Amino acid sequence: MRTRTLGAALAALLLIAAAPASLAAEPDFKAMLAELDAIDDFGATDFTGIFTIVSDKPGEKQSVNQVRMFRRDAKKQFLMLIQLPEASKGQGYLKEGDNMWFYDPTSRKFSHSSMKEAVGESEAKNEDFNQRKILEDFDIEKTEEGAIGKFPVWIVGIKAKTGEASYDRIKLYIRKDKTLILKEEDFGASGRIMRTTLYPKYTEVSKGKFFPSQMLIVDEINKGEKSQITMSELSSEKLPDKVFTKAFVEQVN
Amino acid sequence: MGTIAKTALKNLNRQKKRSFLLGGAIAFGIMIVTLINGFAGAFLGNISSNLAGLFSGHVFVEGVEKSASNKPISVIRDDAPILAAAATAGLDSNTILRRSGADATIVFSGKRTSQSLISADFASDSYLAKHLSLKAGKYEDLSKPGSLVLSEKIAKKIKAEVGDKVLVQLKTINGQNNVGELTLRGLTYDMGIFSNMLAYADKTVLNELLALGPNEYTMFGVLLGDLKETEKAATALTAALKAQGTPIFELKSEEAKGSAGASATTGMGSRYAKLAKLAKQESWAGTKYRVFTINDMISQIEEIVRVINTVSLVILVVLFLIIMIGISNTFRMVMYERIREIGTIRSLGMQRPAVLRLFLLEAIFLAAGGAVAGFLVSGLIMLILSLFDFGTGTFFSLFMKNGHLSFFVPPATAIGNFLIVLALSILAAFFPARRASRLDPAVALRTTK
Repeated sequence: MRTRTLGAALAALLLIAAAPASLAAEPDFKAMLAELDAIDDFGATDFTGIFTIVSDKPGEKQSVNQVRMFRRDAKKQFLMLIQLPEASKGQGYLKEGDNMWFYDPTSRKFSHSSMKEAVGESEAKNEDFNQRKILEDFDIEKTEEGAIGKFPVWIVGIKAKTGEASYDRIKLYIRKDKTLILKEEDFGASGRIMRTTLYPKYTEVSKGKFFPSQMLIVDEINKGEKSQITMSELSSEKLPDKVFTKAFVEQVN
Repeated sequence: MGTIAKTALKNLNRQKKRSFLLGGAIAFGIMIVTLINGFAGAFLGNISSNLAGLFSGHVFVEGVEKSASNKPISVIRDDAPILAAAATAGLDSNTILRRSGADATIVFSGKRTSQSLISADFASDSYLAKHLSLKAGKYEDLSKPGSLVLSEKIAKKIKAEVGDKVLVQLKTINGQNNVGELTLRGLTYDMGIFSNMLAYADKTVLNELLALGPNEYTMFGVLLGDLKETEKAATALTAALKAQGTPIFELKSEEAKGSAGASATTGMGSRYAKLAKLAKQESWAGTKYRVFTINDMISQIEEIVRVINTVSLVILVVLFLIIMIGISNTFRMVMYERIREIGTIRSLGMQRPAVLRLFLLEAIFLAAGGAVAGFLVSGLIMLILSLFDFGTGTFFSLFMKNGHLSFFVPPATAIGNFLIVLALSILAAFFPARRASRLDPAVALRTTK
C-alpha cells in the first residue's frame, strides 16, 4: 500500500515536471500569426513586381494574364495594371483608402470594384497580391502538427471575425523552422473547402520581408481548374507618389 | 365641294379593278403594320403580368444596411415597418411574398453556369404551387430539404437530371465566398432569356448559404390584381413608409421623372440603378428601404418594344414609299387616259384648283378606304389568332395572356399610321394632279391617245 502510494506520487511528480516541457514545445500561435502579418507588411518600403498567371481549365485553352503590381503598405496604397492578355491591356485596379476602383481604358472610366475580384479568368484575386492582416480579421480556432513534403508544419485553423472576410475559415500550413505559409486551404461557411493555395517559393523583398514568388491556386469546386503565378522583375525602389493616383492610371494608357 | 367629292367617288367606282388593287395594296401595308403594333402593344403588358407571377410581385421593397466596412448589404431582418406601410397604402396582406435572391454559379460534372436563385418555401408557398409549371419532377418532392428547381435548358447545359446533387457557389450578403449542395428536384420549361433568372431553391438552405437568419430575407414583394395599378401602388407604399418615419431612398424629382415605370431604360431600370447608387453614396444607421416595381425589372423588354415599334414604323414608311410610287404612276396613267375628260370639265367651267382637289380627293378616298380595310382585316386576324390556345408551359407563354396571343393597338399609333398613309397618298397624287389641273382645255380636248 505504501509502495503504491509512493509510486503514484512519483508518477504524478514526473507528470507535473513533464507538463511545462510539453507546453513549452507549443509555440505562441498568436505571435506566429503576428509574425506572418509583419513579414507581409512592407511598411514604408515600396514594392513592385510583375506577376504572370497561367490558368488551366479543363476543355479550354490555357490562358495567360500578366499584371504589374505596385504596393505602398504604409499608406494602404495598391495598384495593379494588366499587361496581358492584349484585350485587357491597360485595365487597372487602384486602391484609394477604402475605395477600390477599376479602370477601363476603352471607356476611360473608373468604376467601383473590390479586392475580392478575380484577376481576369484566373483563380487569383486582387487581395492575393495585397497586404494581409490575419490577426485583425481572424481568430485562432484550432492548431495541430503536420507535414508538407519534407517540411514539418503547424496547421493553424482560423475563423473569420466578421462575415466580410473572403472565406469563413482558413487552414494555414506554416513551416516550423521558418514562419512562412506553405499551404492555405480556404473554406466556405458551409464547411466545404473552396480553394487551396500552395506557396512553394518566397523571395526576400527587403530584410525580413518575404513575398511568395511562386503560387499555385487550385479551385476545389471546379475540379481541374488552377492558376500558377510566378513573380519577376521584383523591385523595392521608391515609387513616385503619383503612381497611386487615377491620373497615373489614365496616363499609362 | 360636295359635288367634287361625289365626282371623285364616282371616278374611283368607274375603275373598280384599279381602285381595288391600289386600295388593296394600301390595306395590306396597314394590316401588316397594325398586326406588328398590336403584338408589340400587348407584349409588354403580358410579360409584366407573367413575370410578376414568376418574380412574385409587382411592387418590391428591399432593405439596405451598411456593413462594418461601410458597404451596402441587402437584407430585411424585421419587416414590421413594411407591413404597416403596406396596410396604410391599402395593399392586401394576402398578396405579400417574401423572397431572397442570389447570383450563383451552379456546378455539376465539370460544367458550370451562372444562375440567379430565388428562395422558396415550397411546402407553404401556395402561389408558387399554383404558378410553377414543372416539365420534370413532382411538386410534392420539392418540400424535401435542399430542393432546387432549374429550367430544362440550364439543366441540359450542366448535364444534370432530376435527383442529381449540384454545388451552388455564391457570395453571402456580406460578400463572403460560400458553397453548398442542393438537390435538383424539378425542371421548368425553357424560358429563353429568363432561364438564367428564374430558378428556385429551398429557402432554409439558401438563407444559410447567404448568411441570413431563418426569418430574414432580401426582397418583400406585393402582387396586385391589376398591372396598371403598379406605379400607383408603389407611390402609395413609398408615401406610407415616409409618413411613418421609416428611412427610405428617394430620387430627386428630376431624377425620378422619366425613369419610373414604363419609361425606365437600360439595365435593371434606371430608377433601380439610381436607387442602388444612392445606397453606395449615402451614410445611415440601421435599415433603409428602397421601393421599385416590376417595370424596373423589365426595362430591357421596354427597349425591345420600342425597337419593334420603330421597326414597324420604318416598315410602314418603306412599304408606303413603294406604294406611293405605284399610286404616282397610276395617277399619271389616269391623267393621260382622262386627258380629254379633263379638257371637257375645264371647258365646262371647272377651275384649276377644283381639278386639283378632284384628283387629290380620289387619292384620299383610295387611301382612306384601303386603310380602313386594312384595319378591319388586321382586327379579324387578331381575333382569330387570339382564339388559339398555345398552352402556359412554354417560353412563348411569357409573351401571351393565359396561353393566348393578345393584341393591343394604341389608338394614337393607329391614327398616326392612318395619317401617314393619307399624307403619302396625297403626296403621290399631287404632282400628276397639279399637272392635270394646269392642262390647257383646248390642248386637252385635241389630244388623242
